[in-house]
Amino acid sequence: MIAAHRLTKTYGTRTAVDGVGFTVEPGRVTGFLGPNGAGKSTTMRMVLGLDRPTSGSVTVNGRRYADHPAPLREVGALLEASALHPGRSARDHLRWLAASNGIPRTRVDEVLDLVGLTAVADQRVGRFSLGMGQRLGIAAALIGDPPVVVLDEPVNGLDPEGIRWVRTLARDLAAEGRTVFVSSHLMSEVALTADHLIVIGRGRVLADCATAEFVAQHAASHVRVRSPQHDAVATLLRGEGLDVAAHGRELRVVGLDAAAVGELVGRSGLLLHELTLVRSSLEDAFMTLTADSVEYAGATR
Amino acid sequence: MSSTMGTHAWTRIETPAPPGATATLRAEWVKFWTVRSTPWSLGAMFVLGAGLTTLVCALSAEALARGDVGEPVGAFVTWGIVFAQVTAVVLGALVVTSEYGTGMIRATLAATPQRSAVLAAKAAVLTSTLFVAGTLTALAGYLGGNWFLDREGIGLALTDDGVLRSILGSGLYMAGLGLFAAAVGLLVRHTAAALAVVLGLVFVVGNLVMVLPGAWGEWATKLMPGNAGSSIATPESFNPLLLDPWVGFAVFVAETAAVLAVAAVVFTRRDA
Repeated sequence: MIAAHRLTKTYGTRTAVDGVGFTVEPGRVTGFLGPNGAGKSTTMRMVLGLDRPTSGSVTVNGRRYADHPAPLREVGALLEASALHPGRSARDHLRWLAASNGIPRTRVDEVLDLVGLTAVADQRVGRFSLGMGQRLGIAAALIGDPPVVVLDEPVNGLDPEGIRWVRTLARDLAAEGRTVFVSSHLMSEVALTADHLIVIGRGRVLADCATAEFVAQHAASHVRVRSPQHDAVATLLRGEGLDVAAHGRELRVVGLDAAAVGELVGRSGLLLHELTLVRSSLEDAFMTLTADSVEYAGATR
Repeated sequence: MSSTMGTHAWTRIETPAPPGATATLRAEWVKFWTVRSTPWSLGAMFVLGAGLTTLVCALSAEALARGDVGEPVGAFVTWGIVFAQVTAVVLGALVVTSEYGTGMIRATLAATPQRSAVLAAKAAVLTSTLFVAGTLTALAGYLGGNWFLDREGIGLALTDDGVLRSILGSGLYMAGLGLFAAAVGLLVRHTAAALAVVLGLVFVVGNLVMVLPGAWGEWATKLMPGNAGSSIATPESFNPLLLDPWVGFAVFVAETAAVLAVAAVVFTRRDA
């Protein structure tokens, strides 16, 4: 379990993380979502004791990260993939990590196998593709067989097969009872993997709820209706107190689900050509929620 | 997949046993020897140190024997160390700055949050290796160079005044210089900057201060780290102004310790 309490980090006059509080529970995948510059990486660095909080605290399994005698056996972390020396082989990278926390050397081959890098284990990592680097980073995160796994933007640079592999891995780790904390700036990615969401923007928590709840709350929906008796249908639905907007030959109805709209129209004997529930995408919901907290926005927005 | 994940440690009740006291040292040892820059630097040290000493002795033995040179023979048997010291600076700087250059430092400090332990382990691995390499380099250079001097009848025995001291002293000086470069590397966190600072101090500033007038110039020359530290690495110096070997080395150690102390304070306080 990871617990942050009023965690704050300021750099000079800029506040990167502003009084953030959350808990990341074991047994599920928690997505940590926010636009670039929202404070995700800074928060993760404080979880790992790399950056010192300006105020507040964060603990992993009840203790500050630095107070664990063998932290890699407590928390496994994928940092940015470039935290590797390009001249060192994958196996050697894992060897020194194992040595640093008293982890048996046999575990090196286990995690190489787990991430599918056994065949290239003795190549210098400078020759690795971005995806292979990510896999090695995940191997490093798992080397201590830790109960808590922290993955910072794990799908960056991965091909579709690799993305699916990370999703499955995250879900499997959570199913085993581990705490899995995955950051991303892509709503669609997190929605597919995470059971729970923590959304931050400008260093503050904007939402902390189950993914399904987030979707229900923030993804707006309407029913698209097409009918040869366009005006009659519109009048009927407005008469029922529904919010109906006409867009050319289509009506957008808010306030009832598709089945209820269909029944209303059917009972009055009018004809329908189309009846569709339209959900705005999660990406849209995320954009709406974080619109005010995006640090750098394109001029057209 | 889950069956290969491991030993289900997350269900454990007790905290895992702390890794042994040598864990950080072993990790740094593995890191040190698994990058190419280490064998390259040490190989270059040997080639420059032993090779140049042998070469210069071979070329000047005859003139030295005739008494044409006006320099002490003792100044020649570890002559190559002046050039070999560059490799100790490079290796010392890289041990620290390569981690900052690649972002590795975050992996290192995530694995071992006790920063003083990381620093101590790095220093131990670096200095022990450089001591051995520097000593072997000086010994090989002495054996090679002295073979030519012996032929002219002016060879020095290992037991002669300062010869053994200069061989072991070469190892000590390399170790100290590497540590000095590592400390500077920790402060500037950038390979090129660290090399420029240390090589500039040792090779450029150390020689430029000799032109300062009077006692100022004399003492600045004596106290510059490269000048103070290197006199231990030669039986007799070309420069009679320098401090006595052990006195000079003590000054150099104090200077290195001071830079290292500042670097350690900065390192333990700043964000990774």
